[in-house]
Amino acid sequence: MNKVLPEFDEELLLALKRGDDKALNLLYRTYFPMVLHFIGNNSGTEQEAKDIYQESIIVLYENLQIPGFELTCKVKTYIYSVSRRLWLKKLAEKSRYVGKIEDFESFIPFVKEDAEIEDKDMQFKVMKQALEKLGEPCRTILEDFFIHNFTMQQIMEKMGYTNTDNAKNQKYKCLMRLKKLFFSSYHSE
Amino acid sequence: MVNMSNIEQIEQYLAGTLSKEEADLFETKIKQDPQLAIEVSSHKLLMESFTLYGKRTGLKQKLNQFHEEMETESFANRSRFAKYSIQVFWKKHLPTMVVAASVAVITVMGTLFTVDYLHSLENRQISYYKELKRELNSIKNTQKNIVSATSSNTSDYKPVTYSATGFLISSNGYIVTNRHVIAGADSVYVESKVNELCRYKAKEVYIDKFSDLAVLKITDPDFPISMKIPYGFKTRESDLGEPVYTLAFPREDMVYGDGTISSKTGFEGDTAAYQISIPVNPGNSGAPLLDDRGNLVGIISGKHTDAEGAAFAIKAKYLLEVIDSIPRDSLPEPIILPAKNSIKELKRPEQIKYLQNLVFNVKVYQHK
Repeated sequence: MNKVLPEFDEELLLALKRGDDKALNLLYRTYFPMVLHFIGNNSGTEQEAKDIYQESIIVLYENLQIPGFELTCKVKTYIYSVSRRLWLKKLAEKSRYVGKIEDFESFIPFVKEDAEIEDKDMQFKVMKQALEKLGEPCRTILEDFFIHNFTMQQIMEKMGYTNTDNAKNQKYKCLMRLKKLFFSSYHSE
Repeated sequence: MVNMSNIEQIEQYLAGTLSKEEADLFETKIKQDPQLAIEVSSHKLLMESFTLYGKRTGLKQKLNQFHEEMETESFANRSRFAKYSIQVFWKKHLPTMVVAASVAVITVMGTLFTVDYLHSLENRQISYYKELKRELNSIKNTQKNIVSATSSNTSDYKPVTYSATGFLISSNGYIVTNRHVIAGADSVYVESKVNELCRYKAKEVYIDKFSDLAVLKITDPDFPISMKIPYGFKTRESDLGEPVYTLAFPREDMVYGDGTISSKTGFEGDTAAYQISIPVNPGNSGAPLLDDRGNLVGIISGKHTDAEGAAFAIKAKYLLEVIDSIPRDSLPEPIILPAKNSIKELKRPEQIKYLQNLVFNVKVYQHK
């Protein structure tokens, strides 16, 4: 557990925690061929490899943002393990799993993080669906306000409302609708 | 029920933008109002999910951008990469390929060498044994000259390729000669040159590869069927020193040769043949070998190239065996072998007078 990580990994992880895009780009380029090779050799396409790989990167990235998260293995092993697990799940969904996975790297099994990750995945999925159902212009307004941190003034200007109260009113209505949509499917999940 | 200002307050509380007093106030309010507490926690979950969604989509966009960049780069580098990959291929596989190539070369050379060696062994054995068919280059040339002098049309001209000897064994037109004489023949003619030149078309009816014997049948309707066969067969092994003679066509006219049986075995101990001390030449192949009493002793087939005066003749016994082994169905007419030797009391020149009618010059036409 106290294994010293390679210098490259150490620096990369620090930069990723800071939210460095260059580091993310470097990380992305470094391990894509490995995952492509793995999935390509286990009855997957390049597009599937890309999706799985991006999901794995997101898992790593999000975990790194959690305070107190410590990587217990090399970045390479981590990415491979996550991709492997995601791909097995995908194969099981498609019922294409033939019982034998051809491995090219060592990997670590995941147990305890599974529930947490799945929880997050579910939230993401439900929110995505809710937003899709919500439609425009609500979606843009909410995204601008909550994600891009626009002020009411900016939203008013962008959407062409006559005053901020109108915009506020609109935002409120949209939020209520989203809430309804979100929880209706969240509870059924 | 929550209204707009309520929501705003919840938002501000969760975002942490409320002042200390306001937050405390709000918290006590939550404790008193369970409805509000549920509202706050659900709003919290909603906001969390929303931020998660926002972050993930943002991240995904970035990753997609990276991927696109990577792909365009790799596309731009593809030609260079292709070249590089060829280099890598060579570097990686050159040793294997070299080994494979050398194995292939060794195998091929080895096979060629072995086959060639075996072949040359075979050739060496045969090279001392000369088959006595005569290649008719001179005739060919002469004929060519005549033809070219008389006619410019040479399209259906076929040269005589080989000349040798054969003899009649059955009055209905069966002739025995050597297999090597007629091997590969397009057509075979037999010529008798005793009183006048008679030429008959013949076709091969049987060949025996192992004894080197062939049986021809004259197919020409002009052939006189009533020709009598006066000689007999000697199936008993002849003794050494027994005088024998032959009639053959080593040239365009019949040539008589005589000598003795000098060994009971032929080339390299072949028990199916005799060694005889008759000077033979190309063209003697297929000539009958007869003893003093006009019995057929053998058929001359070849000579030793490395020894003086060593010719070989296939024993008559084997000729009879070959004739017996011919399937009846493959013959147009049965072979009627001579029953009685009518020349055994005659002197040799008298015997020859009878025999010369039965000895033919076999001419083989072969289109090359």
